[in-house]
Amino acid sequence: MTTQLASGAVGRGFGDRLILAATIALAIVMVIPMLWAVGLSLKTNQELLVDTQSVLKAPWTLINYYDILIGSGVFRWLLNSIIVSTGMSLGVLVLSSLAGYGFARLEFPGRNVIFVLVLFGLAIPEQAVILVRHQLFSDLDLHNTYAGLMLPGMSAPFGVFLMTQYFKAIPTEIDEAAMLDNASRFKIFWRVLLPMTLPAQATLGIFTFLHAWNDYWWPMVSGTNQQMYTLTVGIASTQQNFAESAGLGYLMAQAVFASLPVLIVYMFFQKYIVRAVSGAAT
Amino acid sequence: MPGIELKNVTKTFGAATVIDNVSLSIRPHEFMVFLGPSGCGKSTLLRMIAGLESVDAGEIWIGDRRVDQLAPGERRVAMVFQHYALYPHMTVRENMSFGLRNVRLPDAEIDKRVEAAAKMLEIAHLLDRKPGQISGGQRQRVAIGRAIVKEPHLFLFDEPLSNLDAALRVRTRLEIAQLHQRVDAAMIFVTHDQIEAMTLAHRIVVMNNRKIEQIGTPMEIYSRPATTFVASFVGTPAMNFSPVELSDGPNGFVSARLPDGAIVATRIDKASLPISKSFKLGIRAESLEICPVGQGETAGVAQFVERLGDRTLVYVKLSDGLTIVAGDTGNSRVAINDQVGVKFDGSDAHLFDDQDRGHHAVLDGSAT
Repeated sequence: MTTQLASGAVGRGFGDRLILAATIALAIVMVIPMLWAVGLSLKTNQELLVDTQSVLKAPWTLINYYDILIGSGVFRWLLNSIIVSTGMSLGVLVLSSLAGYGFARLEFPGRNVIFVLVLFGLAIPEQAVILVRHQLFSDLDLHNTYAGLMLPGMSAPFGVFLMTQYFKAIPTEIDEAAMLDNASRFKIFWRVLLPMTLPAQATLGIFTFLHAWNDYWWPMVSGTNQQMYTLTVGIASTQQNFAESAGLGYLMAQAVFASLPVLIVYMFFQKYIVRAVSGAAT
Repeated sequence: MPGIELKNVTKTFGAATVIDNVSLSIRPHEFMVFLGPSGCGKSTLLRMIAGLESVDAGEIWIGDRRVDQLAPGERRVAMVFQHYALYPHMTVRENMSFGLRNVRLPDAEIDKRVEAAAKMLEIAHLLDRKPGQISGGQRQRVAIGRAIVKEPHLFLFDEPLSNLDAALRVRTRLEIAQLHQRVDAAMIFVTHDQIEAMTLAHRIVVMNNRKIEQIGTPMEIYSRPATTFVASFVGTPAMNFSPVELSDGPNGFVSARLPDGAIVATRIDKASLPISKSFKLGIRAESLEICPVGQGETAGVAQFVERLGDRTLVYVKLSDGLTIVAGDTGNSRVAINDQVGVKFDGSDAHLFDDQDRGHHAVLDGSAT
């Protein structure tokens, strides 16, 4: 028995070490490009034009960040990204919660059919509808507006699905207890059930925010006015030539600057992100 | 305090009738238990009284108010659920006061009621904790406290003890009985556990297959079961049944002859029996005594022996193949495959006619 236990412990230790080694290797693969980008952002464009390996040698400078502060449109794009990502996240949370509650708790004709139709939305790629959507938004004069940038992302089949499943998992006894407590249907939704879905809301909100922050295609199509660029579109627009042989440090400084809000989101919501990802894996 | 009246209440789900024309009166301050197997309709009936299920036909009255069209919150009933149904994001205090805030009771009154209920249930020290931070038994007390603070006319309990372990179940059962003495309201308690029903109820409603089989005090239900279902569902072990032929016995009572020829002298008045194609004898294990072969009315082979400590149950296979359960002393020496005799005490035996109606021993000791 002792031998078995000991060998089991050894086996687990070896497995753990293997996983740790693989994790470290993957982390290095992920982190090196980021560190490289930070390094590039700390070098002058002239130095980088001669040799990008100069990143590893002094001197380093903050000149590119200074240039952002005085001359770039990055602050405007940052503001646009914050408005669009936050607005889209809030919109998705409100609409998905209401729809999820409806599908999980209300009985109405065609409920199951409509739910299946919503799920079909998961299978339709954005590319398939973008021409029609572009035309529609054009007719509605929504291009180059915040509404135009936010609205498409607010139709979130995954969010509706997630919230429906989450509401379904809450025992109906809770609703019934609240009904006996004289709560109205809205109060049951707002005061009783919605707070119970906070973990799902956090997951959905974070993923929607990150998706909106990183989205490139629709903001590029809809926000053609430079004042309405989001960060992704704005930074891409500053690329000076195809190989980016000139202005590389400045471009990287903008990229690093653009990443800061997302890093802050990760830092504050790390617990929820890990829970969401591990939850999706089980 | 008002009583509760159910008049010809019916409930259907699609083509299936789940409550079939049930009528019932519950007296003020009465403790009524709905007892029956899973799927018999007892929880549905409770939920109809609560307003959580609609009433398709019939009426429900609480006092002089017809309530079957009212919303659950307007019926002045409080319910304790099987799985507690506490709001997990609210503290115990918020859970208990939520319903009172919804009817806009003054804060001082809410605090007074919550504190009083918490003190009564010994959960005052838990008021600022959340349900996830307290034990299952404590959660059940909070659920009861949430019901108490509403000062309802009627408490409804939907199998509230089924999630508790055995020891806690006994303790909570006692506490619910004590609670009933302290509050001025009727209580309806749904359970499939006959012990809970027998120990708590003033009266028991035994339900089976969507209908009421019998309403009566616990001892009426046990001693004078109206049907074979009641006789077999209430009491452990279940009552023994055997088809019998009747003959005249002494003092106007009937005697019953079992298929193996054993004669059981009952104290059932012959004159009270209806005309029936057949009769079935029902007799409990405590009326059957294990004895040496030849000393009882019949004999058989011990097939199984259940030792319960204070007594022993012996499953005896008779010569005609019928197996009956008989009682023996706690230190019974009967072993499996032993030949044993069985002595019948027919004074508590029951007869069931072909309409499944029960007929019982006369109460005063003589036939009428």
